[in-house]
Amino acid sequence: MTPLWYVLGFAFAGVSFVFLTIGLSWLLSHRTKGDRHKGLPYESGIDTFGDTWGRFGLSFYIYALLFVAFDIEVIFILLWALVFGDLLLGGFVAMLLFVGILELGLGYAWRKGVLTWK
Amino acid sequence: MSIITRPWGRLTLAGKIMLPLVALLVLLTVLLLVGFASGALPFLLGLGGQLVGDNIDIARFAAAATALLLFTVPTAFVIILMEMKLIAFVNLRVGPNRQGPWGILSSTLHGFKVLAKEDFTPTGVDVPVFTLAPVVTYLGAVMTIMVIPFAPGLFGLDMNIALLYFFAVAGLGVIGLMMAGWSSFNKYSLLGGLRAAAGIISYEIPLILAVVGVVMLAGTMSLNQIVANQAGTFADWYVFQQPLGLIIFFIAAAAETGRTPFDLNEADSEIVAGFATEYSGMRFGFFFFAEYVNLFIMSALTTTLFLGGWNAPLDAQPVLDFFNVTLNTALDPGALGMGLLFLVALGPPLLILLFTLPIWMLKSDWSFLKSLVVGFLLFNLVVMLFVGIWAYMTFPFVAGLFWFMAKTFTLVALFVIMRGTLPRVRMDQLMGFAWKWLISAALLNLLITAAAIVVLRDPSMPWN
Repeated sequence: MTPLWYVLGFAFAGVSFVFLTIGLSWLLSHRTKGDRHKGLPYESGIDTFGDTWGRFGLSFYIYALLFVAFDIEVIFILLWALVFGDLLLGGFVAMLLFVGILELGLGYAWRKGVLTWK
Repeated sequence: MSIITRPWGRLTLAGKIMLPLVALLVLLTVLLLVGFASGALPFLLGLGGQLVGDNIDIARFAAAATALLLFTVPTAFVIILMEMKLIAFVNLRVGPNRQGPWGILSSTLHGFKVLAKEDFTPTGVDVPVFTLAPVVTYLGAVMTIMVIPFAPGLFGLDMNIALLYFFAVAGLGVIGLMMAGWSSFNKYSLLGGLRAAAGIISYEIPLILAVVGVVMLAGTMSLNQIVANQAGTFADWYVFQQPLGLIIFFIAAAAETGRTPFDLNEADSEIVAGFATEYSGMRFGFFFFAEYVNLFIMSALTTTLFLGGWNAPLDAQPVLDFFNVTLNTALDPGALGMGLLFLVALGPPLLILLFTLPIWMLKSDWSFLKSLVVGFLLFNLVVMLFVGIWAYMTFPFVAGLFWFMAKTFTLVALFVIMRGTLPRVRMDQLMGFAWKWLISAALLNLLITAAAIVVLRDPSMPWN
């Protein structure tokens, strides 16, 4: 069996474990329907007001965009680190250029005030 | 009340213990009788043996997967108990002390209590997403345990990309938190889910960048190989070559697992319980469970990468050689002959009495029975201690597991003490710290490590 099958099998085992436990809890626990107020979202005792699935801060989106850029950078860096023992000086200079360009981008974002939470 | 809980509630405690036992015994007896009388059981056993023999890979995998999944349960209970007692110690309180001696059963009983609580689905929620969110979160926590090398020969799967797999799967957890926040139809939940997403993805980058130094030194991403590279004394551990890496990794791991001071996603004084506000019963339990499994896994990964994994800090062999001691751990019970019989029959009772009598004589207000029980427990402890020492010296995987767990739980204790001492940061501080300082520090660490390797190993340098 290849590792992929092991991973998928373990995921299947994990999901079954969770659902078996929730099923056991369903058998053991009591359930009541309650009145209208039991099903309302808990917002510190006040009935909910306005749209929940509405708009939220833009900052989350900007950080997510930055994250995508850096996560891909990290994947390249990991592969480079793996073979760094053979590349040595040449690899060092190449990666210095690559990371340097990305750092320019991060510096630009910093300068523009993106990294300051608003 | 469900059909099971109503009659159950009328039973006394003794009945609650006895009834399932009796029912189980009756069921087993009937099944065995019917099975043997009809000849079905021997046939089925033979068939089962054949089946296992033909698919030994799958059988071994099923056993390992079950063991790993069940292993997470006592681990979480131990960590929760540690958290309750250690934070009580930090706060100069006593902590839980009612359930069992020194309250050691309290976390286990809390776990079973959650199992019996009502699992309620509020009216406005997106039901499929709401139900799947704890599954995804738990899966993201538990699937990473597969690649952790616990001891020599004791690991789930040895992959050559184990580290990449670890970070890829650990990233699944944040999807579960976002699902929970979004589907709950609650403004606090939505805010908690978004905070969790923003915080975790931001700290994921310094977390991975801090590890790159270790990958460069080790030249591999297989965790087993990384541990094997750190064999020897404690001076060979990567922490001494990557001290900055360890610090960055530790801080980022605290944020990644949602621990104080970075627990903005479930900050209970600001947004009720964050993404878990609308959850109850076992589905809430699984968020909680996943958090503690995550804590264990992150400590285990820190141990594996920086603190030498299952390697002992010092090899005992040179010390033994120096004092000219030879340990003989090869036991041959057969050599005792009839003496073995007397040893097995008379040894335990005599030892128990030996432990009981001083207690009975010194504690004059205790009955003999009470001292006998305490003496029996003491005898068990001593036997377990001796068996443990013997196993430690005989089997390398027991020694490896001992060191691995000792290091991991030291790190877990550090996380717990951090929760007891540090105040929570603000959201802007959380994000600013990751992007402005941690990423810069991680890149600096990378640069220094790469430069050092080039200077020390590159053949074009005049001194190499």
